[in-house]
Amino acid sequence: MENMIEFKNVHKWYGKLHVLNDINLEISRGEVLVICGPSGSGKSTLIRCINRLEEIQKGEIVVNNTPVHDKTVNLTRLREDIGFVFQQFHLYPHMTVLQNITLAPVNVKKMSRKKAEAIAMEKLEQVGLTDKSGAYPGQLSGGQQQRVAIARGLAMSPEIMLFDEPTSALDPEMIGEVLDVMVNLVSEGMTMCVVTHEMGFAKKVADRVVFMDEGKIVETGKPDEFFDNPKTERAESFISMILTH
Amino acid sequence: MLADFNFRVIFEYLPLFLTGLRATFLISIVSIALALCTGIIACACRISPARVLKYPAIAYIEIIRSTPLLVQIYFLYFGLPTLGVRIPEIQTGILALMLNSGAYIAEIIRAGINSVDEGQLEAGISSGLNYVQRMRFIILPQALGVTIPPLLGQAIVLVKDSALLSLISVAELTRSGQLMTSERFMPTEAFFTVAFFYMCIYFVLKALAEWSQKKLIFREAY
Repeated sequence: MENMIEFKNVHKWYGKLHVLNDINLEISRGEVLVICGPSGSGKSTLIRCINRLEEIQKGEIVVNNTPVHDKTVNLTRLREDIGFVFQQFHLYPHMTVLQNITLAPVNVKKMSRKKAEAIAMEKLEQVGLTDKSGAYPGQLSGGQQQRVAIARGLAMSPEIMLFDEPTSALDPEMIGEVLDVMVNLVSEGMTMCVVTHEMGFAKKVADRVVFMDEGKIVETGKPDEFFDNPKTERAESFISMILTH
Repeated sequence: MLADFNFRVIFEYLPLFLTGLRATFLISIVSIALALCTGIIACACRISPARVLKYPAIAYIEIIRSTPLLVQIYFLYFGLPTLGVRIPEIQTGILALMLNSGAYIAEIIRAGINSVDEGQLEAGISSGLNYVQRMRFIILPQALGVTIPPLLGQAIVLVKDSALLSLISVAELTRSGQLMTSERFMPTEAFFTVAFFYMCIYFVLKALAEWSQKKLIFREAY
């Protein structure tokens, strides 16, 4: 299958801290990859490198045939194709939901406002929030804010969606509504990288699970195999940790 | 105490005070406008990654903030002519107020920009917005909301600081009081009147600040 994202011998340091240590990873078109691991293991950094929110010091990342960290790369063009959803949502608090979603399509894709708003409403319907288009983020619950953030990412019609712990900042009763939206995305064939500890989500829709520790990919496998029969001791102790909570 | 006041003299000198008030008002307006421009430019340089812009901006801001305004006024008043620049006192005064307030305004704006959550910037970057677009749509609208009250505070400070220009014989409000004192020797009446007019300006600006706080901050957002 065609590779959508490819990590080749990627290294990254924060000062002396080796946050990404020789990462080799291939993600094919339409694949859903879940990345898990203890905090500080480099999983967030890993996906932040994909749209170059972070620089790397060694190796190469190729997204859709574009070398991400090449000097000549058109970053705007690259980022149009990659939606990013943050743990803390990061909606723009001074704009309405509709303005949040249309900002990039109008200004980056140079879409007419009317068309952008039509697309925004379509995406809001997809996340079940058409009635909130005029609301400000502060008036929404965490789960609703995160769904708006997903709609904002989708409005650019990306080929890849990256999720950095999308449910970790949510109250337990709101996690489900966000995961439902993500599961629906999977059925549309979106290429997705999701940093999460939601085992249920991983078992249900992930094609592969990558387990990271201390900047390295320690184990890769099918979700059922990984969670039920981890091959490495570190993965095993990590899984027993998240299970007891 | 007011019973001992010689209001007749105040009224006799009212035209002089009004001329001074007018001068103070004009000097302040011009200085605030220029200081705002200076502050925006200095702030843009201060947060720029380019060292040729950043370090001069830091030097400017630190020098202004570490020295008294009166020293800066005297420095320009006596220093400029020795450099061959001969401009009227009033322009020297406006220049001093502009440079002084500009440094403080630069820091006020910088604080406003820094108050915008880094994550929103990353959200903007991730969706492909460029630097100018991120500034225009995400940072500045929010920074402005938190910056306007301290900016008006700085404007109030500038109006009161302009009193120091009387020391380089600019004919503004405080100078009117000095003139009346030297002619009639009634300092209490003179400076009571001067203080009264400064208070008038202060309350106008304060009302403006409170109004803007209600109007301009995006309250729905929080």
